[in-house]
Amino acid sequence: MQANAWSLGLRTDVTVTVNIRRRFKMFKMFRRVRLGSITALAIGAMLLVACGGELATAIPGAPTIEPTTAAGIATTVSGAADTAVAAGNTAVSGAGTVISEAATALPTTVAGAATSIAGALGSGPIPIGIGVAQTGAVALLGQEEVTGAQVAEKFFNDKGGVNGTQIKLIFQDTAGDEAGAINAFQSLINQGNVVGIVGPTLSQQAFSADPIADRAHVPVLGPSNTAKGIPQIGDYIARVSAPVAVVAPNAIDAALGINPNIKNVVVLYAQDDAFSKSETGTFQDTVKAKGLNLTQVLTFSTKDTDFQKQATDTISQKPDLVIVSGLAQDGGNLVKQLRDLGYKGLIIGGNGLNTANVFKVCQAQCDGLIIAEAYSPEANTDMNSQFKEAMKAKQGDKPPSQFNAQAFTGVQVFVEALKSLDNKSKISGMSLADLRTALNKEILAGKYDTPLGSISFTPEGEINQAKFYVAQIKMNPDGTTGTFTYIK
Amino acid sequence: MDLTSFVQSLLNGLSIGSVYAIFALGYTLVFSILGIINFAHAAVFTLGAYFTYALVGGAVGFNGLLANKALPFGLPFALALILGSVLAGLVAVIIEVLAFRPLRAKRADPLLTLVSSLGVAILITNLIQYLVGAEPYSFPSNTYEGLPPAINFGTPNSPIPIRSAQVVIFGVSVVILVILTFIINYTQFGKALRAVAEDATTASLLGINTDFYILLAFFLSGFLGGVAGTLVGSSVTIAGPYFGISFGLKGLAVIVLGGLGSIPGAVAGGLVIGLAESFLPAELSSYRDAVAFAVLFIVLLIRPRGLLGRTQIQKV
Repeated sequence: MQANAWSLGLRTDVTVTVNIRRRFKMFKMFRRVRLGSITALAIGAMLLVACGGELATAIPGAPTIEPTTAAGIATTVSGAADTAVAAGNTAVSGAGTVISEAATALPTTVAGAATSIAGALGSGPIPIGIGVAQTGAVALLGQEEVTGAQVAEKFFNDKGGVNGTQIKLIFQDTAGDEAGAINAFQSLINQGNVVGIVGPTLSQQAFSADPIADRAHVPVLGPSNTAKGIPQIGDYIARVSAPVAVVAPNAIDAALGINPNIKNVVVLYAQDDAFSKSETGTFQDTVKAKGLNLTQVLTFSTKDTDFQKQATDTISQKPDLVIVSGLAQDGGNLVKQLRDLGYKGLIIGGNGLNTANVFKVCQAQCDGLIIAEAYSPEANTDMNSQFKEAMKAKQGDKPPSQFNAQAFTGVQVFVEALKSLDNKSKISGMSLADLRTALNKEILAGKYDTPLGSISFTPEGEINQAKFYVAQIKMNPDGTTGTFTYIK
Repeated sequence: MDLTSFVQSLLNGLSIGSVYAIFALGYTLVFSILGIINFAHAAVFTLGAYFTYALVGGAVGFNGLLANKALPFGLPFALALILGSVLAGLVAVIIEVLAFRPLRAKRADPLLTLVSSLGVAILITNLIQYLVGAEPYSFPSNTYEGLPPAINFGTPNSPIPIRSAQVVIFGVSVVILVILTFIINYTQFGKALRAVAEDATTASLLGINTDFYILLAFFLSGFLGGVAGTLVGSSVTIAGPYFGISFGLKGLAVIVLGGLGSIPGAVAGGLVIGLAESFLPAELSSYRDAVAFAVLFIVLLIRPRGLLGRTQIQKV
């Protein structure tokens, strides 16, 4: 500083130097404060994007996670992207865990909130929770469920909702793991004050999150939980997804229809996924029951990308049929690498591969893949046509998937059960706790005409589905798009 | 083990090992100069794959802000690989300028820099998901123009098929490794870079512009990450915005195994882990990651400084 003063030809006696030094110090302090606040702002913004981005803005145009406060002010309207910001606590709203911890710490507040919500139900829309995986490894399936649920929300609200009262979906991201599902469920139950929940995406998550809803007496409909034992978790747990033991054997029948000479079968499954494990058990039992020769059982992980080892080993067994139980990404990749290395026989894919997202993974090599389905876009029913029409408005020509249809069905069952309950006794007069219990009974008693066909429930909560489908993938010449062609 | 599966495992191991190596070299370059692990490297790896995907003319899916958009042109894969990796390198440079340099200027604790890089990684991952959705992206099936899905390394009667993708990965990785070794060891630039890595203060006293070389190190690191991301993405799929994360952990195992900050170490570590994974029996292959870290653990017990690492001399 002194050097600067000299070079500018200024007088540099003691007073001036001190003055300059003081000013310089002030400038430095100012700069520090300013830099500090800029850094703080930047970190805040980063946190916002990191947390909020993952949860609230996972899918643009998708519903935001509601900025529920400790007072338990009802909820945000789904799709209202600005509400979270307007409430001024976006960062908190993104952090599901923080909220749910706060809620457990303040049981009295929440209890108080519950009563007021029940009172408010008469005038406001009815909150239904959607706790599926919007982020993480299974986000693909979860996003399809989000779309299905959003379409259902609009579809039924346009038709007058629950006897004139609108419904509103509250979305909470479960991510792909158990902890995420537990947090999301707690949040929906305690802050969202939902009447019921459609979720979670994976059976694996259902085994940890469903008991929480069951203890809180909140009805849950599993949209895609097909493993053994889901409805047995508790009285409040039911599912709209047919169990794998019912769906899977249809695919083997279809494969034998295409090639009656099948003898050797190799089975591969993702050993880190509860659903795939359960599914492969059914496949293996069916293979043995049909008198086929199960030559090898190989495992992989849903996180794997390199399957050459499994593919090489499979091909060395010279199988006529290969059965893959995994999720879209790993399963699709396994199919691709099997074909790349020269496997020519039939391949059956499990329920995890039952999505158009698999086209992008195995591309032209997906062609011919046989998949048993609980839903077929080609099913010729009135409800399915209406559903397809509604889906078309949302996502254009992409045909609806089973996950779209099952999430839609989950919302539909809630809406119709609420309607018939409201016809018996006005739900606006009920407390939230009473409503949840009565709704659960009503769900299990009803019959529903859904895109999946006609469904009802056993007293335990297991789905009774009238019809199943088997499809074979036909890829278009461009190698990136294709269709599920209905074969049975 | 018969000859076919031995040769297949060997080639697969070399192929995946070499891509581990170039990915881990990205960590090593930054570590040897700044002494910190750049967690954002895994996110740059992911970005590189997306850049190349866009440059070959791939369209964005129906999720995300950029839904259904695509560039009006499609470059040949080789050119897109280079350009996409250069873009990844530039992102790494931006990360250095925004996330590392300000903290370094304030002499922040290395732990803070580490957390800052982790923040950048999360930010980039979420940004990707926001822009293009969480769905997987596959390179068009004719990416390696003219090559069949698999190449036969055996005879027509006893075939040893290897996927072309693996052969391409191995070839590109070896070329990159040779070029990088040449640059670091035999060019003025490489010498200056090594001088900065040895002692930044002394290097700057000798007239080397350290900030410039740090930027260049970040660029190279990002470039290598981009190449690795593209190669893996084109061989399997770009499995979504999170696909760099598990790879990032593997990369850390590789550099620790090879010796922190050692370039030949990163290569050796990559090959050891790649081969260990590919020679694992198929029944156990879903425990591949556990094997990688078990190898790491055993090597560290015997040689705490890694395979080719140097012992740190503590000066008092």
